[in-house]
Amino acid sequence: MNEKRRAPLFPRRRALRWLAVSGVGAALAACGAPLTAQQSEFQETGAATPEPPAAGETYLAVARGEDPAVITERAVAALGGMERFVKKDFDVIIKPNICTDFYTYEYAATTNPVVVATLVKLALGAGARRVRVMDYPFGGTAKSAYAKSGIEDAVKAAGGEMEVMNSSKFRLTKIPNGKAIQEWVVYQEALKADLLINVPIAKHHSLARVTLGGKNMMGLIQDRGGIHAEMGERIADLVSLFRPGLTVVDAVRTLMRNGPTGGSLDDVKLNNTVIASHDIVAADAYAATFFDLQGRDVSYVRAAAERGLGTLDLEAIKIEEIQA
Amino acid sequence: MRKPWGKLLRMSILRRAVQAAALLAFLYLMGAANFLNPLPGLANLFLRLDPLVAVTAMLAGRALIAGMALAGVTVVAALLFGRAWCGWFCPFGTVLDIFAPRKAVRQRSAPPERLRLVKYLLLLIIVLAAVFGSQALLFLDPITILTRTAAAAVWPALGYAVAQVEAVLYQVEALWGPLDAFHNAVIYPVFQDARPVFLQAVSIFLFCAALVALNGWAERFWCRYLCPLGGLLGLLARFSLFRRQVGPACTGCAACAHSCPSATIRPEQGFASDPAECTLCYACVDVCPRQGNAIRAAWPGWKPAPAQPYDPGRREALAALSGAAAVAALAGVEPVRKHPPATLIRPPGAVEEHFAALCIRCGACVRVCATQGLQPCGLEAGWQNLMTPRLEARLGHCSFNCNACGQVCPTGAIPALTLAQKRQTFMGLARVDRNRCLPWAYATDCIVCEETCPLSDKAIKLEEATVTNARGEQVVMKRPYVVKELCIGCGMCESKCPLTGEAAIRIYARRSQ
Repeated sequence: MNEKRRAPLFPRRRALRWLAVSGVGAALAACGAPLTAQQSEFQETGAATPEPPAAGETYLAVARGEDPAVITERAVAALGGMERFVKKDFDVIIKPNICTDFYTYEYAATTNPVVVATLVKLALGAGARRVRVMDYPFGGTAKSAYAKSGIEDAVKAAGGEMEVMNSSKFRLTKIPNGKAIQEWVVYQEALKADLLINVPIAKHHSLARVTLGGKNMMGLIQDRGGIHAEMGERIADLVSLFRPGLTVVDAVRTLMRNGPTGGSLDDVKLNNTVIASHDIVAADAYAATFFDLQGRDVSYVRAAAERGLGTLDLEAIKIEEIQA
Repeated sequence: MRKPWGKLLRMSILRRAVQAAALLAFLYLMGAANFLNPLPGLANLFLRLDPLVAVTAMLAGRALIAGMALAGVTVVAALLFGRAWCGWFCPFGTVLDIFAPRKAVRQRSAPPERLRLVKYLLLLIIVLAAVFGSQALLFLDPITILTRTAAAAVWPALGYAVAQVEAVLYQVEALWGPLDAFHNAVIYPVFQDARPVFLQAVSIFLFCAALVALNGWAERFWCRYLCPLGGLLGLLARFSLFRRQVGPACTGCAACAHSCPSATIRPEQGFASDPAECTLCYACVDVCPRQGNAIRAAWPGWKPAPAQPYDPGRREALAALSGAAAVAALAGVEPVRKHPPATLIRPPGAVEEHFAALCIRCGACVRVCATQGLQPCGLEAGWQNLMTPRLEARLGHCSFNCNACGQVCPTGAIPALTLAQKRQTFMGLARVDRNRCLPWAYATDCIVCEETCPLSDKAIKLEEATVTNARGEQVVMKRPYVVKELCIGCGMCESKCPLTGEAAIRIYARRSQ
């Protein structure tokens, strides 16, 4: 017998040693896992308060036209251009609504890819170091929803990155001004970024009535089911935490019924509009009018306004309407 | 005499390389197939090469399955090279080789030769049971074992372990940059972002582990004594062309007999071996100091291999026949035949009446399920449905944008539906538990089931009712109800219901329409 020739392909001792080491690692990991959910390095603060425009400048821009790229550019330009929001070397996160992988963007359940890609391009043009686009879909996987929505292709072509939200980057986080919830597990990158651009699509929702900018913040948390009770107050708490610096509501194609998932073109109305403002509440209040509602009819918009997170009073602000 | 070329040219080295390639191919196909790209025709390649699966699926399913023609390649190969499949190709055999016992252990108290009969008995029972319409025992096929174990135990456990290690590393914020780069380049493409759980993960793993552990008694215990596919290939190997032959140079040193992982070289019979046991591994050829044995074409002078004492005789054949009849008859008196459990939700398009006959219990569908809600059955639908897939919607729904299970099913037990067809296929029916549902039972806002329903005309609608809540206030509640005509039973609502534990809306089986 020749011991050497019959030496096994995988020597067991070495394998065992390796297993023991990795087993200890896995055990450590198991011990460490509960910690990840308990501790946050970002307890002290939410994001900075979005900066209002200089006195006399446009507070909210509404651009209408056939080309989503053009109206997005014009709306942002009316607010003073992307340079007002993006400083050199900014790390920018754009948060569209990519709720599911069920249907393509024509069905108006997910944000218009051209609107998103245009914002990517503008942010990069204004000197952003990198622009990441992300959402946390509830139907399908992030990857399948990114692809189906058309947003992945559009964003990549514009030079941005799609980030699949990594469960390791969620943390239980204090909400300093929280009223209904004082802490929630949220995606830390959204808090770390220099600028969060909120790009909801305006669409029907049976409980909230409409999904707009405030409700779009629900894509930055893990437990969404828990938000539905006292939805208005809880979403306002999330808005107070994330404070997106710019909100661009996509009302190019608007889902009027059977939201938030849609699936029938009969439910889609062409509005060919985008609404942009640093003020999420004002943008939502304006967008609500597409559903024959006012800002105060939408629980989370009203709640956010009551917290002083923005204004519902569309008469008191300077609105620039653009026909492109 | 050792050849001057040394080790490189030795056949056993070549065999190792082929084995490794086949195992890696198996693992690659398993890892690469996911619902976005289920690799139809490739993901189930090893299963379609498996002649046992082909024979039983066609017998039990009473159908010609075109994709299974590939198994003919294996049959032809067996008629040429005997059980070379076992020694060179079978990924489960390779796993057993990886966990081969130490040399010292190998020769200890060899199991009795009669034990080799078991694999033939199993084979006969399985094939005859298939004639009676049952594939209940196909969970014993080696390729289904490996596929299922990988899909529902090892792979998800590995993914979990990796995610846990990542979670620890991600505690250090300074590492996020490189960790993200590594995660996006390596971890995410391999494991995606599903965090699957499997009800049967432990039992499936232990079953496979036990078969591997039998190696400790005798090398390749499974292949020698138990494997029904090995039995089938062994039957064919009796007629194989290329066989191990002992030549005049043999001096009777017995090195070959000691080296044989199948222990089929018998010194008392002039070091002859049984082609039905030989896996053509070349250990004997390589170990022989004077080229006393070789694997050569047995031509001219070919004749079937001689019968062995452990070959099944008439008595064993009768026993197998009764065994198969018992399998079929006992299956007939399980309650699932009269009333399939209401929680037995089959993959989309599968018709319960035909499903169990066509399903080979491999778990290929389980592997590619987008949400990993497809789970191998335990005993909840009786022994006869052990390891058949069912949708456990609480763990994962049937994803609206996915039809992967039908694409990879090797037998057509799950039909290959288009997405459009699948979206109109009734799998079950949702039922709201009004004693548990937040708006119904507690006057608390929640419309999650309604909002997640993927149908354009939502099968869950909301009725408004003014009710008194716990604080004595009059509130308007939106309460969900299910429209039977619309609901396809995908289970999205059940998987997303925010309650802890059992959902307040559940899917129950409904007769296919």
